Amino acid sequence: MNNINGGSFSLGLNNNFNNSDPFNGGPKPDIIIQELDSEKIKFILTNTELSVANALRRLMIAEVPTIAIDMVEIELNTSVLADEFIAHRLGLIPLDSMEAEKIKYTRECNCSQYCPNCSVELTLHAKCVQDGQSLEVCSRDLQSSDPRVSPVLKDDNDKGILIAKLRKGQELKVKCVAKKGVAKEHAKWSPCAAVAFEYDPHNRLRHTHYWIEEDEKKEWPPGPNANQEPPMTDDEPFDYNATPNKFYFTVE
Amino acid sequence: MASFHTVQRETLFKNPSSTSFGVPALQKITAPHIESFNALFASKGGILQTAINDLQATYVYDNPEGTGTVIFDPEFIIQCRERLITYQGRTEVRLNWKINDETPVSETKVVGNIPIMVKSVRCNISDFYPKDLICHHEEAEEMGGYFIINGIEKIIRLLLVPRRNYVMGIVRPSFQKRGKDYTQYATSIRCARPDQTTQTVNVHYLKDGNCMFKFSWRRQEYMIPVMLILKALVDVSDKTIFDHLVQNETSNTFLTDRVELLLRSTKTRNLIDREDYLKVLGEKFRIVFNSLRSFSDAKIGDFLLDRIVLVHLKSNQEKYDLLIFIIRKLYAIVAGECSPENPDSPANQEILLSGHLYGMLIKEKLQEYLYNLRDEFSKHFRHSKKNSAMDITDPNYVTRTLNRMKHETVGQKITHFLATGNLVSISGMDLLQATGYTIVAEKLNFYRYISHFRCVHRGSFFTEMKTTTIRKLLPEAWGFICPVHTPDGAPCGLLNHLSSSCQVITSPTNTSKLSRILFTIGVLDLSHSGKLSKNQKIVHVLLDGRVVGICLPDVALSIANQLRVWKIHGNNDIPKQLEIGYVPLSNGGLFSGLYLFTSPARMMRPVKYLATGGTDLIGSFEQVYMNIACLDEDIIPGVTTHREISPTNVLSILANLTPFSDHNQSPRNMYQCQMAKQTMGTPSTALTYRTDSKLYRLQTGQTPIVRPEIHNKYGLDSFLNGTNAIVAVLSYTGYDMEDAMIINRQSHHRGFAYGLIYKSEVVNLSEKTFKFKSNITRHFFLGDDVGDEIRTILDSDGLPFIGARLTEGDPFYAFYDDTKGVTRVKKYKGPEIAYVDQVRLLGDDYGESEAQKAHIKLRIPRPSIIGDKFSSRHGQKGVLSQLWPQYDMPFTESGMQPDIIINPHAFPSRMTIGMFVESLAGKAGALHGIAQDATPFRFNEENAAMDYFGKQLLSAGYNYHGNEPMYSGITGEEFHADIYIGVVFYQRLRHMVSDKWQVRSTGPVHNLTLQPIGGRIRQGGVRFGEMERDSLLAHGMSFCLQDRLMNCSDYSQCLICQKCGSIFSPISLHHQIQNRKRTKHHVRCCLCDSSDYIVHIKIPFSFKYLATELMCMGVKMMLEAKP
Repeated sequence: MNNINGGSFSLGLNNNFNNSDPFNGGPKPDIIIQELDSEKIKFILTNTELSVANALRRLMIAEVPTIAIDMVEIELNTSVLADEFIAHRLGLIPLDSMEAEKIKYTRECNCSQYCPNCSVELTLHAKCVQDGQSLEVCSRDLQSSDPRVSPVLKDDNDKGILIAKLRKGQELKVKCVAKKGVAKEHAKWSPCAAVAFEYDPHNRLRHTHYWIEEDEKKEWPPGPNANQEPPMTDDEPFDYNATPNKFYFTVE
Repeated sequence: MASFHTVQRETLFKNPSSTSFGVPALQKITAPHIESFNALFASKGGILQTAINDLQATYVYDNPEGTGTVIFDPEFIIQCRERLITYQGRTEVRLNWKINDETPVSETKVVGNIPIMVKSVRCNISDFYPKDLICHHEEAEEMGGYFIINGIEKIIRLLLVPRRNYVMGIVRPSFQKRGKDYTQYATSIRCARPDQTTQTVNVHYLKDGNCMFKFSWRRQEYMIPVMLILKALVDVSDKTIFDHLVQNETSNTFLTDRVELLLRSTKTRNLIDREDYLKVLGEKFRIVFNSLRSFSDAKIGDFLLDRIVLVHLKSNQEKYDLLIFIIRKLYAIVAGECSPENPDSPANQEILLSGHLYGMLIKEKLQEYLYNLRDEFSKHFRHSKKNSAMDITDPNYVTRTLNRMKHETVGQKITHFLATGNLVSISGMDLLQATGYTIVAEKLNFYRYISHFRCVHRGSFFTEMKTTTIRKLLPEAWGFICPVHTPDGAPCGLLNHLSSSCQVITSPTNTSKLSRILFTIGVLDLSHSGKLSKNQKIVHVLLDGRVVGICLPDVALSIANQLRVWKIHGNNDIPKQLEIGYVPLSNGGLFSGLYLFTSPARMMRPVKYLATGGTDLIGSFEQVYMNIACLDEDIIPGVTTHREISPTNVLSILANLTPFSDHNQSPRNMYQCQMAKQTMGTPSTALTYRTDSKLYRLQTGQTPIVRPEIHNKYGLDSFLNGTNAIVAVLSYTGYDMEDAMIINRQSHHRGFAYGLIYKSEVVNLSEKTFKFKSNITRHFFLGDDVGDEIRTILDSDGLPFIGARLTEGDPFYAFYDDTKGVTRVKKYKGPEIAYVDQVRLLGDDYGESEAQKAHIKLRIPRPSIIGDKFSSRHGQKGVLSQLWPQYDMPFTESGMQPDIIINPHAFPSRMTIGMFVESLAGKAGALHGIAQDATPFRFNEENAAMDYFGKQLLSAGYNYHGNEPMYSGITGEEFHADIYIGVVFYQRLRHMVSDKWQVRSTGPVHNLTLQPIGGRIRQGGVRFGEMERDSLLAHGMSFCLQDRLMNCSDYSQCLICQKCGSIFSPISLHHQIQNRKRTKHHVRCCLCDSSDYIVHIKIPFSFKYLATELMCMGVKMMLEAKP
């Protein structure tokens, strides 16, 4: 297989995996990373069961802990937006969660409500003083108490996500408490936007049945991973014992 | 090409114009209301002025009085809405009087405040543009058309009424019950005076060939032989009447026979000339009209002719000519030569406009006011015989007396009309109903709001009719009344909506030139009728209900065509609002004639005139006789003269907003019109300044990707009404059965369909003290007796802090009561958590006294929860059944997971193909980043919508049909079938479980029956009725039934005498109670006079109650009690 972008990695799930596939003693699961940048990773997972691949997908969506704003104390809000609406917007702002492992879950922490061990405080204070022009309050304006946990920004010019717009005289002063959590509980803790997952791009296993009115080739354009496997030939025999073992992932 | 117009909208928003409206189409929605209101005050020939000129001078003995001009002077509106008061203007009336023949004296009196229509000429913001409107805290595109009564926006509803000045033939069996010899045949004409008041008169056909003229005066009906009126109108001989009626149809023996009978019928009265006839009329109606004794009979007869007979015409000759025409038409209907009109057909209807109704009301109230003045004065005169202090000749006397009288009642009565919609009127104003004239312009969402202004009601009289013929959709309604937009259920077909292109004519036009022109192009004077050759068919020419002349049928056709060409080109000053209805001669069709209408209140709509390409405004009457093609391919050369501008013109604004409605089954489009009006959306752009008692708002609204053209035309992007959702059509988890739908929990976390409710609470301190204004005893502040605990929750003025979170039982507001010297804290009662959004103190009009009212606006968050109702724009409503986790939701190969899953079974029987097309279009639009045009009737069989959007999908690398292979989120396995997934615009409806859930274990009971009370608000129970009981019995669960319904709820004990079997006769004998011990022997049966047979039994309390009730009716109930 062509490695487009780097070598193969073993899955670090547990020790068994390092040596061999625990289920049938076959070759160990493999990941081939095809593309990788700050926003997207594309990889192929091979030599494993469908259930493991799907579990990986589900974990990536729901159970990777990240840090997000969980509590908002509103000191002053004279903007046109309601308090709870601003709080909701703040909650959905992605924070840099590289250090999530070093922060405790609040429920596992000894403190009564929250403490520096299990939370990060961010403050926001903005007031519009300009006449006739509205002030855009963005996620860059959030001041974090911990420099390691701050809103995700593309570069120095990126103002971040728009939180609210203020008119002259309007003021917004809030204190936010960011906590560690998983997306199972609330979507704001989700580390990824979507996980693309595909196996068997040519429907060799006949798990699905394409709806065709006239011509399959005309109505069904090839999928994104179709070039990774040889297309079906018309006289190819159907192997009903085959199981999927090559999974194409794209995580954003 | 559809577009989002994002940049234009932003510039409009940032720099509101001070010279023009951003969305001019919105202003047109309310045009019928505002223009008709403005017509009241038009500088030349305003309706109100005409009405006042028409007011009868009233006489007190010999003192005539008349009235003069009305002057208005309104205040600023936004205050009214926020302060919950009425937007009204001071109204002055100039009273003129003269005593005997002295010079007239006049005086100006204020007759109270009259509510003013917003954005009318008398309104302060009538000439404001968005910039000024925003400065005054109004909606940027405020369109007015309503009144503000106590802070509530009220609209006078448009009503369908019979077309004015048009003679309608009616066949109604109930007419036979009017009296002896009456038949089912009659003609009816609703005559309108220049001041828009009307008087309907009927002419009935009697079995003996005679005709009776019927009218109603002050809700009483009167009949007069028609000959009396004919002869009283003009001095004519019987011969002339015969000639006029028969014209040249001398061989029509049916007609000549009837006319002979008619002429003979008055011979018995021995009356000779016109004066005699007038006297007879006057004599009979002297009492009815409550006339003064000094009036002669002839004068009263004249009054009758002037005020009641065919009031749209001025001269008696004109009235005579029309009456002849009416009789002629009546005979034709009786003879079966022509068919009667259908009074339910929009061709024979017009609209009672709000301004016109308002003017009628003002006129009537002013008339009443004058009568009241008269009565006051006559009372004075009566008393003066004893009281010599009165001196009529004293110039100050009238002024003095006037000053002592009440004048403000006129304004009060009109405000009352708008507030309640009840019409209190002596004359009945020629209308069928007394209630239901006004409606509240609910701002539930903007769609509902705008459709209030376009709705036309048939009249509440018809709602109780058992027959359904009036509710039918008639072909004559095409283009004027929307066939789709009517509610289902009780008001179906009675409450309709104007089509989007339909206009209502609001002002009268001068027709004097038109009638002159008619004679130059072939219309003959009436005197020609006898000169034509025998049995030559002729047609009458009527202009606004006036017989102009006659002409030959083929000439009539050319006149009609000539007029139409001139009208379209604006030649010869032919008004655009002219309606040219040429009814050709036919065998059994409608009575032929050339009927021309220019009057206001008619429905008209633009169509394209094919010959010149110009736009022709056509009316509902003439449309029936025209050849209008819908599409280009429908044009038949030589026949078709007109073409629709657009096939969507027949739909109302709301019906037009359903995307691809031409692909749907028709009832689904009706449901969508209903549901669009129940959607949580954006009710207003000036939400901060609204004080409505309840407002729904969708926090995360989006503009639809798939939108009809009209969406942009009406600027509906300012009033978002839903969310674009990724919708997968599949059966998954079983939670999508029976119209339930699954929503992605993580989408919900991200704010999908998050809504809120604004609720208003008005605190009125003075109301609770005294009815009449006395000293203020209650004040908004916290006294010294209030602890710190409350001070942290309430501000020192006793009102809550803005942004405070309230749960049930929290202190809400407090006031200090002088009389008791304590601070009273009121608690928040709602069961839901609320946030204080705004607090306003409301003072009085002058700002002098202490504020006694406060308005607290609460914000109740309503995230979508299980049980809330959603719908797409295709009448596909569903209930949220489960917030399913994202990781369990199915996903496509690109990782897309649906926001909503609906069941495929929702489609086969409902046939909402439009929803599939919307899904395809939405998906393609989202992929390519374009807005999709969803105007109905844009696609056809050759150029199919599916193909158009399928190709767009293919080019984006997706399946042509919108299907995608999907994987189960739970197992990761690919589904066997590929799934139809796309983007559909979803609306969140206002029906939410939070408002509907009802649960009770024990709670309040009715104190007479001891049964649980009903009603959700009172913590009542849900009835377990007979059918529920039967089902338990059928299950063999009678023990359970007894346990639940008797032992655990309705259990009661009582004593019974086994001997007489009564449960009431055992009476406890108190004097026998000794040593605080009471055994059963101390209870005696008062009937058997013994204590031996008394035992305790257990019975349901309701049974005891039944026995008591029966006893009250004298029914004895005996029970057999055995151990």
